[in-house]
Amino acid sequence: MKKLLILLGVFSLSGAFTQNFLKTLSAQELFGSMEARHIGPALMSGRVSDIEGHPSDKLTVYIGTAGGGVWKSTDGGVLFTPIFDKYCQSIGTVKVDPNDPDRVVWVGTGETWTRNSTSIGDGIYKSEDGGANWKKMGLEKSERISNILINPENSQEIFVGVLGALWGDSEERGVYHSSNGGQTWEKIFYIDEKTGCSDLIVDPNDFNTMYASFWEFRRTAWSFNSGGSNSALYKTADGGKTWKKIHNGFPEGKLGRIGVALAPLDPKVIYAVVESEKDEDKGLYRSEDAGNSWKHLNNDFDLTVRPFYFSRIVVDPKDANVIAKAGLSGAISKDGGKTFVGLGFMHSDIHDIWFDIEDSDKMLVATDGGLYRSLNKCVTMERVENLPLSQYYHISMDNEEPYNIYGGLQDNGSWIGPSSSPAGIEARDWLSVGMGDGFRVFPHPTNSNIVYSEMQGAENVWRFDQKSRQLKIVKPYPESIDQKLRFNWNAALSTSIHYPDRLYLGSQFVHVSDDMGENWRIISPDLTTNDPNKLNQENSGGLSKDNSGAENHCTIFTIAESPLNKDVIWVGTDDGNIQLSKDGGKNWENVTAAFSGKLAPKNTWVYHIEADKFNEGTAWAVLDGHTQNDSHPYLIKTTDFGKSWKLMVDSTVIGFTRSFEQDNVNEKLIFLGTELGLYVSINGGENWIKFENNMPSVAIHYMEMHPKKHDLVMGTHGRGIILLDDLSPIRKLLTEDTKTDGFKEELTFIPTPVYFMSDESSFGNTSTETQFVGSNPSDNAKIIYFLKKRHTFGKMNLEIRDLNDKLITTIGAEKKKGLNIVEWNYSMISPKIAQGKTLDFGGFISPRVEAGKYKVIITKGKKEYTTEIEIAYPENSVFSLEDRKIQYATTMEIYNLTEDLAYLVHQIDFYLKLAENYKENNKYKKEVLPMVERLNGLKKTLVITSGDNYVGAAEPQLREKISDLMSSVSGYFGKPGKNQLENLKGLKKAYEEAESTYKSILNKEIAKFTGFRLKDNPEAKLEQLQSKTDFLKK
Amino acid sequence: MLFIFEKKLGKMKIVFMIGGLLWACLAYNQTADEIVATYLENIGGAENWAKVKSQKIQASVSVQGMKIPVLMYSFADGKSYSSFTMQGKTMVQQVFDGEKGYEMNFMTQKMEEIDAESLENLKRNKGDFPSPFLNYKEKGYTLEKLEDETVEGVDCFKLKFITGKKLNEGKEVDDVMYYYFDKENYVPIVIETTIKMGPMAGKTSQTVFSDYDEVDGLFFPFSIKEQLKDGDGQGQTITMEKIEINVEEDKSMFDFSAYEKN
Repeated sequence: MKKLLILLGVFSLSGAFTQNFLKTLSAQELFGSMEARHIGPALMSGRVSDIEGHPSDKLTVYIGTAGGGVWKSTDGGVLFTPIFDKYCQSIGTVKVDPNDPDRVVWVGTGETWTRNSTSIGDGIYKSEDGGANWKKMGLEKSERISNILINPENSQEIFVGVLGALWGDSEERGVYHSSNGGQTWEKIFYIDEKTGCSDLIVDPNDFNTMYASFWEFRRTAWSFNSGGSNSALYKTADGGKTWKKIHNGFPEGKLGRIGVALAPLDPKVIYAVVESEKDEDKGLYRSEDAGNSWKHLNNDFDLTVRPFYFSRIVVDPKDANVIAKAGLSGAISKDGGKTFVGLGFMHSDIHDIWFDIEDSDKMLVATDGGLYRSLNKCVTMERVENLPLSQYYHISMDNEEPYNIYGGLQDNGSWIGPSSSPAGIEARDWLSVGMGDGFRVFPHPTNSNIVYSEMQGAENVWRFDQKSRQLKIVKPYPESIDQKLRFNWNAALSTSIHYPDRLYLGSQFVHVSDDMGENWRIISPDLTTNDPNKLNQENSGGLSKDNSGAENHCTIFTIAESPLNKDVIWVGTDDGNIQLSKDGGKNWENVTAAFSGKLAPKNTWVYHIEADKFNEGTAWAVLDGHTQNDSHPYLIKTTDFGKSWKLMVDSTVIGFTRSFEQDNVNEKLIFLGTELGLYVSINGGENWIKFENNMPSVAIHYMEMHPKKHDLVMGTHGRGIILLDDLSPIRKLLTEDTKTDGFKEELTFIPTPVYFMSDESSFGNTSTETQFVGSNPSDNAKIIYFLKKRHTFGKMNLEIRDLNDKLITTIGAEKKKGLNIVEWNYSMISPKIAQGKTLDFGGFISPRVEAGKYKVIITKGKKEYTTEIEIAYPENSVFSLEDRKIQYATTMEIYNLTEDLAYLVHQIDFYLKLAENYKENNKYKKEVLPMVERLNGLKKTLVITSGDNYVGAAEPQLREKISDLMSSVSGYFGKPGKNQLENLKGLKKAYEEAESTYKSILNKEIAKFTGFRLKDNPEAKLEQLQSKTDFLKK
Repeated sequence: MLFIFEKKLGKMKIVFMIGGLLWACLAYNQTADEIVATYLENIGGAENWAKVKSQKIQASVSVQGMKIPVLMYSFADGKSYSSFTMQGKTMVQQVFDGEKGYEMNFMTQKMEEIDAESLENLKRNKGDFPSPFLNYKEKGYTLEKLEDETVEGVDCFKLKFITGKKLNEGKEVDDVMYYYFDKENYVPIVIETTIKMGPMAGKTSQTVFSDYDEVDGLFFPFSIKEQLKDGDGQGQTITMEKIEINVEEDKSMFDFSAYEKN
C-alpha cells in the first residue's frame, strides 16, 4: 500500500498554472489526438532518387526519394512503408551495412539530381534496427550525399561521397572517412569549394580500391552551370590515402558530371558516362583494366542527356556486359555498351536502376513518376502503386461537398481530387486537368466546373470546362512584337477573392483578365529588379546547354489581394521585391527597402505573401533564401502597408520557408510551412512549435485553410496532400485557456458543435491491396477534452447516456496529456441475442441513436466529469424527419424482439441444462424426456442448432430471420418498406406463438419437472432462473 | 504479450485483441538497468513478481457497440489459454500447453493446430511469464537505452528490448520491442513493435497502457489499447475487469483430445 501512495503522489498537481497555459505546451500535447491525414495521390507518384537492395535478402529493398523520405519493402518491392518521417525528406543515397544487413542502414540526405526544384539535405543518419529508429551521425552541412561505402569486413570503416552545396560555395565536399562507425569524420579528399564528389564506388574484392568522380557545378536562381576544369575521375588503391586522375582515353578539355560503375563479376571492367565539351566525345566509356585506359563506346541520346539529372549507370551483378543507364527514358545494353535499347514504357526521367541479386531479369527502376518493377529485364514495366510521393507546387480548393483540392505537380501535370470519397480516396478519384509540369490550379470561385491550370513558364494557361469538356488556352500574349514577357517556371496565376471572373497572372508585369482569360491587360510596370545579369537563360547549362525555362528569373512569384479591400494588391518577386498597390493596380509602391538587407539578405526570393484576414494594412511575407545559399527561415509582417516590417520567426523554426496560412477565425493562430515540416504559433508568431502528429518533415510548398471545413490543406513537395482536419477544437481550446485562466481542472471539456450523422452508404472501393487509398475525414461525433496530465493510474472510462440517464454505450477514453478526442459513431450497444450453435451476423448490429442531446460522463478515479453533445440529422437530407422516426421506432421494435427471443431461448436452455442431470435417471427419465423433447422442438424453430458460420450453415430460424430484418431496417436511414413491416408482423407473430408454446410447456412439463426436482432435491430451489431485467443488463 | 486476432466472419470483419498480461515490466534507466529495477520495484518488487506462477484475467473488449468478455490464463511453465464469449457462446480462442497449440477457426468454429512457425515463436516466449524483464540477462535478452521521447504527451525513457530471436517467414529475426517508460513513475505507457507480416508489414503497432492498479501488492495496467502508430487513432481497447494471480490450473483446458478428432 505504501507503494501505491508513492505512485499516486506523483499525480498531485504541481503548482498553479497561469493563463496561457497552452503556450507552454509542445505541439504533441496541444494537438493531442489530432493527427494529419494523408490522401496522396499515388497514381502519378513522385521522384525516386535512389534504390538500395539488401546484400543477401532479395525481398528487402529501400528507396530514397527526392522529397518523400526513405521507404522500405520487405516483399521485393510490392508494398512500401515510410521509415524516415521525422527527418529531412530529400534523400541522396541509402546504404545497407553488408556486415549486419538486417539491422544497420545508413541514409545520406540531400538528393543529388540537381534540378531547380531539388531540396537540401542535413547530414548522414544511421539506423541499427532496420529503419525503426535513426540517429544523426554528422556531416550536417553536406547538403547532398552521393554515396556511402562500408567496409564489408569492418562496419566501423566508412567512406562517404559528398557532392555538397548546389547554390553556393562550400568546403564541406569531397570524400569523407570514418574509422569509428561515424562518430567522427575526416575529409580525406577535397578539390575546391565548387567541386563535389558526385559518385564514389568500390571494388567489391578490395576495399582499398575506390573510384571517385568529381563535378564542378553551380546553380543560381537564374542559371545553371555543369562542368569545369576541376571535374574529373579519380582512383585510389590505398584506401583513400592517395588519389590519381584516370583520364587515359577520356575527352580533352573541361568535363562535366561523370557517372561511374564497375562490374561486380569482373571489377576490372568499369563504365563511365562522361559529360564533355564536344558532343562527339560525350557518353559512355569502358575500361577493362581497372581504369588505366578508357575506350569511348557510345554517345546515344540517353547516354548523354542532361548529365546533372541522369548520371547513373548500373551493371548487372550476374553479367559484366549488361549495363543500364538512367536517362530521359533510360537504356540498357547487353553487349558491354556497344549498343543500347530503351527501357520499357514508363514515366520519363529515370534516376536509378536495380537488379535482383539472384535473378537479374527482375529489376526496379526509379523515375520522376515513382518506382517501377519489371520481371523481364525492363521490357515490361509495372508501377508500384502505393507510393504517395507526389510533389505539389501549389494547392487550392472549391466549396463543393465534399470539397475538392486542385494542384500541380513536379513533372506530373495538374490534378483535382476530393477531400473525401466513399471508402477512401482512390486513384480513380483523381482527374487530370493539365499537362507538363503542373503548378497553380484554381477552380472558378463560383463555378467549379471551370478550372484554370498552367504548365511551366506559363507556356500554356488552360481554362477547362469539366461539364462540356471544352479546353481553351487562355495565356496572355505580348502586347507588342518586341515585348518579352518573363514568366517564372512556377508562374504566379491566381483567381480573385472579389471578382469571380477575374484572373491574375504575373510575368514581370501583373496581367489581369476580367473575363476568365479571354482578354488580358497589364496593370503594372515591371515590378522586378529587371537585372540584365540575371536574364541570360539561353546560355544556361554549362557543358550541356539546358534552357528549359526552369531558370527564368526577375519574375513575379506571388500576387495577393486583400480579402478586406479589393483595391489592395500585394506582389512579391523572385528577385526580392515586394510591391503594393492600394488602388487596384493604378499605382504601385515598392516597399522592398523597408526589409531588404535588414531582416533578410537583399534579393531574397519573396515566395508567398498573405494579406491578413483581419487587418487591411497587415500582410505576411514568406521569404526563401535557399537559392542564395541561405537556409534561414523568414516570415516578415507589416501592419502599416509595408512601411515597416518585423521578423516573426524564432530559433525553433528550422528549414527555409515557403508557405504561410492564418486561421480564418483566430488571427493569432498561424501556420508556417518550411522545407522541413509544419510549424504552428498560437500567439501570432511569439513562439513556434513543430507539428509532428503523423506529419513528416516534408517541404510544404503551399497551404490554405478551407473556409467552411476549417481544415488546413497542405501541398507538400514529396508526400502529396496532407490535411489537418477541422481546426475548430484548437480555437476553442485557446478560448478555454483564457476563460478558465489556464485550465484549473484536471479535465476540461472543450465545447463541440452539433454533429450531423451522415446518411450516405457505399459498397466500398475498387482498389486492390497494393494500391494506396487516402483516408477519409471522420464523420463521427467527437468528445473533446483537455487533460492537464496523462491518466496512468486508476480507472478512467467514458459513457454515453441519454438525458434520462439510460446507458447508450461505453467508449474507451483517451488519456493523453493535452487535447484528447474520442470518437462516437452514433451507435448504441448491440442487442443481446439468442444463443445458437452458430454466430448470427445480426448479433453484431449496433443501431444508430436518434438525433438529440446526449450526456457524456467521464469517470476518472473518484471524480466524474459531465458534458453534453448534440447530434442531428444532416441538413438537406433526402429523408424526412417523420420517415426517420418510423425507421427508429421500427428498429427498436426489432431490437426488443431480438432481446425477447434471447430471453426466451435463455429460459429454454436453462431447463434443458438442468434436465441433463435427470435424463439418465431412470426414476425421472419418463417425466423429463417429454419436456426435453418439447423444449428442443421449440428451440429448433428459434435458433440454428447445427452447422457452421460458412457454407455449412443450417436453415435460418426465427433468430436469423429477425436479424436479417434488423440488418436491412437499421442499416437504412429512411422509413422501412411495407414488405419489411409485414415481415416484422409475421416475425412478431411467430415469436408470440413460440412464447405461448413455451408457456404451455412451462405450465405443464416444466411445472412437473420443477415439482419433482424440488422433491428430489430441496437444494434445487437454489438454481434460480435469471430475471429478464438481469439477463438483459449490459 | 498481446495476441491479435483478425478473422473474417462473413461480411463482417471482426478485429479484436486479447491482451495478455502486461506484467511486462520495463525498466527505466538512467541506465537501462536502473530504469528496469525502479520499474520492478514500483510495481511490486522483482522478488514478489518472481513468486507469480499463474495469472487469470477476466477482461472485455468493446467492438462496435458489443462488449466481448474475454478470459485469459497464463502459467509460468509457458502454458496459456484464452477464450471469449460472443452471443452467449464461449469459444476458445487460443490454447498452448507449452508444446502444442490450437486456434479457433471462426468459420467452422473448430480448433485447428497453430501453424508451425507461430507455435515455435510461442515456445520461445515461454520464459517471459510473468515478465520478460525478470532475469532478462540470463535469458539472453538485451536492453538498450535510446534517446528520450515524448509519447502521449509524457516525457519518456525509451528502451529497446530484444527478447531473443523469433521466426518470420522462416528467417530468424530479432524480437524487438520499444518501451516508453513515464519518467515520473517508471511504468511503461507505450510499447512499439514493427509489424513483420501481412499487408501491414513495416508499419508500427503501439500498445498503450493505463489504469494501472494494484492486485495483491502488484501493479497491472487495467486498460490496454492496441493501435497503429500514425493511424486514425481508432484502436482496440481491452479493459481488465479482474486479475487473479497464482490460480489453479484447470487440467481440462489443456486436454486436446477433442480437437484432435476434428
